[in-house]
Amino acid sequence: MTRKRKNTARLALLNTAFILLCLVTLVPVLYALSISFSGQGAALSGDLSFLPKDPTLENYRAILFDKPFLLWLKNSLLLSGGTIALSMLCAVPAAYAASRWRFAGRSGMLRALLVLNAFPQVLSMFALFRVLRLTNTLNTHGGLIIIYAGSMCVFAIWNMKGYFDTIPREIEEASKIDGASDLQMILRIVLPLARPAIIVTCVMVLITVWNEYLFATTFLLDSQSYSLAGGLYQLQSNDYSRNWSVFTAASMLASLPLLLIFFKIQKYMVSGLTAGGVKE
Amino acid sequence: MKKVTALLVAMALCLAALAGCAQSKPQDAPPANADQPAAPADTSSDPVTVTVWHDGDEGIMQTIADQVNAQLADDQITVVFEKKTDMPNQLKLYGSDAANAPDMYFYAHDVLGSFVAMDILAPLSDVTDTGILADHLPMTVEAGQIGGKQYLLPVYFETLVFLYNKALWEGDIPGTTEELYDYMVSHTDAAAGTYAVVNQHTNAYNVSPFINGFGGYIIDENAKPGLTDPKTIEAAAYNQKFGALQADGDYNTVTTLFNEGKAAAIIGGPWLVSGIEAAGIDYGIASLSDIKLPNGSGLAPFSGIQGAGVLKVALAEKKDAVAKVLTAMASPEVGVDLAVKSGCAPANNKSYDDPQVAAKEMISVIQKTASTAQPMPNIPEMGSMWGPVESMLTAINKNGADPAQAAADAQAAAEQAIADMQ
Amino acid sequence: MEQKRIWKPWLYCVPALLLILIVIVFPIVYTGYISLTNMNLYHWTDYSFIGLSNYARALFKFDSGFLSALGTTLVWTVLNMVIQIGAGFFIALGLNAPGLRLKRVYKTLLMVPWAVPAYISILLWRVGMFNTEFGILNKFLSLLGLGKVDFLAGNAIAFLSCMALNLWMALPFMISTIDGALQSVDSSLYESATLDGAGFWVRTRFITVPAIRPIIAPAAVMTTFITFKQFDIIYLLTQQRGYMTGATLNTVITYAHQNAFASNNYGLSSAVSMLLFVVIILFSIMTNRSLREDQA
Repeated sequence: MTRKRKNTARLALLNTAFILLCLVTLVPVLYALSISFSGQGAALSGDLSFLPKDPTLENYRAILFDKPFLLWLKNSLLLSGGTIALSMLCAVPAAYAASRWRFAGRSGMLRALLVLNAFPQVLSMFALFRVLRLTNTLNTHGGLIIIYAGSMCVFAIWNMKGYFDTIPREIEEASKIDGASDLQMILRIVLPLARPAIIVTCVMVLITVWNEYLFATTFLLDSQSYSLAGGLYQLQSNDYSRNWSVFTAASMLASLPLLLIFFKIQKYMVSGLTAGGVKE
Repeated sequence: MKKVTALLVAMALCLAALAGCAQSKPQDAPPANADQPAAPADTSSDPVTVTVWHDGDEGIMQTIADQVNAQLADDQITVVFEKKTDMPNQLKLYGSDAANAPDMYFYAHDVLGSFVAMDILAPLSDVTDTGILADHLPMTVEAGQIGGKQYLLPVYFETLVFLYNKALWEGDIPGTTEELYDYMVSHTDAAAGTYAVVNQHTNAYNVSPFINGFGGYIIDENAKPGLTDPKTIEAAAYNQKFGALQADGDYNTVTTLFNEGKAAAIIGGPWLVSGIEAAGIDYGIASLSDIKLPNGSGLAPFSGIQGAGVLKVALAEKKDAVAKVLTAMASPEVGVDLAVKSGCAPANNKSYDDPQVAAKEMISVIQKTASTAQPMPNIPEMGSMWGPVESMLTAINKNGADPAQAAADAQAAAEQAIADMQ
Repeated sequence: MEQKRIWKPWLYCVPALLLILIVIVFPIVYTGYISLTNMNLYHWTDYSFIGLSNYARALFKFDSGFLSALGTTLVWTVLNMVIQIGAGFFIALGLNAPGLRLKRVYKTLLMVPWAVPAYISILLWRVGMFNTEFGILNKFLSLLGLGKVDFLAGNAIAFLSCMALNLWMALPFMISTIDGALQSVDSSLYESATLDGAGFWVRTRFITVPAIRPIIAPAAVMTTFITFKQFDIIYLLTQQRGYMTGATLNTVITYAHQNAFASNNYGLSSAVSMLLFVVIILFSIMTNRSLREDQA
């Protein structure tokens, strides 16, 4: 009985802490949200309030219909999808190999990858321009996907390898006896078991691509082919005083798809290890 | 064996994905003329598109494009302006890339030196007869020259002006900076967030009226930085007491303060007008030349000459079309349209014959300011000066640094940056 | 069969290595190549080999200013990482407390900063939070009857402001990684430990931490590098041209940017980049070593 009461008190405390934490976290976003619904002129000033002044949907209308927002959204989805597919296709086998087999050069390779990844990518701009120009992929989404996938590849390998390491080998050996090929085994057993790590990695790739604007605005020449982040950057890079409210509306719209995805994927975040039938 | 097959399949998929993406743009032609499917424009009946990169106001560019395209409709030449964020840096990558470079660019004259040093621009005389500039204001023509050659076709020019909110400003605009300062002291309440005059008081461009007015300079024609010149230091120290009454001083803060009626006046340029009008403010304009410094000379802002340059790579196939575009851009009609629709001061003197142009208050004020204004230096080294000057002004205005010491630090940084260029 | 075992792992790595070769290795090699030339504004396309002289000049960039930037960077990295991992761990633990029904809602809300594109976050904070005239923090202070504070002016306060923003932007990843790792801890371990009378702290110390450490270690190492390399936050908050706030805070990357990249001398700045890369490699070796000692 006392234990139950103690538990209730603990949960109440925990809930309070989380509500406060969420509120603090959301302050900048609530601020942007309230501005995005505010009429012209109320944009930057106003008192300390999270309620919009002269509420209006005008800003959302402006960004959705006066700017190629939907086109940018489509481009963002295309770029993210392509990058996730390419980087996972490359990184999963490598992470699996690095986790499962002790081959000559393995630890050297892993450490080298980490060091290589330390090179600040801003400095690579010029060289990447050369690569794209040589391969005639400037101004294409394909070229950008290769760059994004390549920059996320090391992270993906490391992140997934760590998780693969925790999956007991015995499970694989059992399925090998059943005659499954390596690929079948990776697809049917390893990937489902490593689901949380795979999802976190994919989300990280998604976010990187979703947020990247420098390469997008440099390597794509036609603003019609920009991603959301690139398009918004071009829209507001210097002068946002004039339509700060439109800009905040655009930011909210650009963040919404990711939020929906976060919410959706959470139920898949439960590991195959605890949910599946590993513990026999 | 199965495993190998599986892996090969995975790799093939991977490659297919790459190939599929790469095909999203048809690029069968060799890179040198990939953007130019039409044959060289010796037969004038083929439609030609001339691409111009810019990083400015899209409304202004549209005004230019509309007028030029109307004039060149019979030649089947179309000008397309494309906005590129951070255009000068983009041109560093694309400037010599025949496949992707634009044919022309449109920007202020201060980046001209860098582009010419990089050897990506063609002098206008290589394209057309520079006689098209005969009617242009000499100041704007000279600003477009490097080493005696004309690289920039001036289209319009701008200077900083004194914009004030008629509903808030009390009395006349002061005739001296000292009176202005007194007005600011009595009409500024930083705690309440209301200001008399705001300015980007740590930005080199916006402090230029003081620096030039005191007789100081940022960099001379021999690429020698002048930050430790006693007059520059004096100007920076003088600017400090104004800065203390001008809020944070970043572009968006000061612009918003003025647009929301929290600041009675702002030192800014014609680019602010559309925002001010959208905010519904009844504003007046005064020339900075009319406000005298303690030494008796008027405030002397930099002037910026906006215009178009031609990229070398465009000459091979579009020379004739570019020549016609330049001629059309130089016409007085472009200037008239810009003046009427966007309030820009035309570079072509003939545009001023139009009564609509003469009637524009902003334009007459800018024209008047041009008497004391100094064109921004256009040597490549100017690009290395903005940072150090801003550091110096920031140190003095925001960190209370000693002006002489801040100037010495900034001068050393600027000299180092210029030495690093070679 | 024996031979196959040698090349099979490498075959698995080929696609990834190919991609990395193109996107990461080539640019580094190319930067190394440019660092040996005189590529600058005056030799934009017609540059030629000039040997190591760029390196001789680049060494002068690694002066006392660089050392203090290096110090700032180390403090920045360590503080951020300690707080990130510590806070991330306890938040994730809290989220996994049995009986917390709103877990999914809390978690989604805490992920929100992650969904906002990075430069938009920075702009939102610069204008919406820190600005002296319009920022929420200053409005809040004036509500309390206090004076305006310029959160980006002095070095110390700007450091804290940048760190607050960095934590805001980076914590979601840490939380979800640790949360994912917590899912993998075998719950039967807890059950038996609880039966043995172990309390919450004991279970955390002896079961949770050891179990999740190998999983989050790679993520922590990667984040450490990202934090070390962080450029956007400090640059865009305090020293973007036209928006300098008065703070003279520098990390090694912003210092190099300020001193070597403004002059458009690609040969020289490439040499600085290569030397900087060496510094980062040294740093990574240090990190590696400390990690291994941790595990021992």
